[in-house]
Amino acid sequence: MRYERQRMMKEIGDKGQEKLTQSTVAVVGCGGLGSPALTYLACAGIGKLILIDCDEVSETNLNRQFLHGMKDVGRPKVVSAKERLLEMNGEIEILGIQEKLTEENVEKFIEDADVVVDCVDNIETRILLGRACLRKDIPLVEAGVQGFYGWIMSVGREFACLECMGFENIVITRPVPIIGTTAGVIGTLQANECIKILLGMEGTLFGTMLQYDGISGSMDRIELQKSDFCKAHEGLTES
Amino acid sequence: MIEVRLFATFREGREKILYLDPNQFKIAGEVLDHLDIPYEQVAIYLINGRHSKFSDDIKDGDILAIFPPVGGG
Repeated sequence: MRYERQRMMKEIGDKGQEKLTQSTVAVVGCGGLGSPALTYLACAGIGKLILIDCDEVSETNLNRQFLHGMKDVGRPKVVSAKERLLEMNGEIEILGIQEKLTEENVEKFIEDADVVVDCVDNIETRILLGRACLRKDIPLVEAGVQGFYGWIMSVGREFACLECMGFENIVITRPVPIIGTTAGVIGTLQANECIKILLGMEGTLFGTMLQYDGISGSMDRIELQKSDFCKAHEGLTES
Repeated sequence: MIEVRLFATFREGREKILYLDPNQFKIAGEVLDHLDIPYEQVAIYLINGRHSKFSDDIKDGDILAIFPPVGGG
């Protein structure tokens, strides 16, 4: 009954819904991007969600991180996010991991995932996670937001990653200014992209960056080329 | 022509897409000078979708994509 309307879609059907129910998705970051991404993945019936975030909720999160409320300030984000998501859909399994990702633990935390969704707010973790996903050959849905602007792309061994574009050299000035609607648009697109990858659909964003401009109300696609000098892709065979 | 696509805050006070005379620009950095974009504000500079340096050559038909840092989550 819960999934009746999406089972009606020719792209999903009973077979696709079963595929989603059997899937595991790891979402790293339960904040601005993580709130919409996790909400729509949970509502779509992804069988198991792995939530990874080492932070606690602060009041400045609440303009965009709608999985958490005022009562959650000071509590671990993975705890309040899990509670809220299970209220929305108690039929799925949710594992919360309140730890900072490191070289030592990253592969262990993501190895069961069919897709990883990157919702973090810092370059170091993006690079760490990107390299781990390439090593483990797990599709990664990347995104970033600032102000009224955002972007999303998918990463795999055959396609450009953030390091192919020199992302590891970027300096992010913190705190990042952001309106909740931007995170809402991009996080929702991440959930949509993740579902498309799980269903094996065409039109995914591997090798393509989709840029969102919330001021002009437009989106642009940029085709990306792998770099011959990318450290993240070095020594990996294409799947 | 050289097609230049600007993104995020680089669009503020500028066009989203510009077309430049290839005879007036030899390297990527000269486009930044022309658009009055400080080099240190550029996070990603792609020439035909490939990561590039400010000193890289540009030519007629190239598509440049220039981004400031957008990395929040």
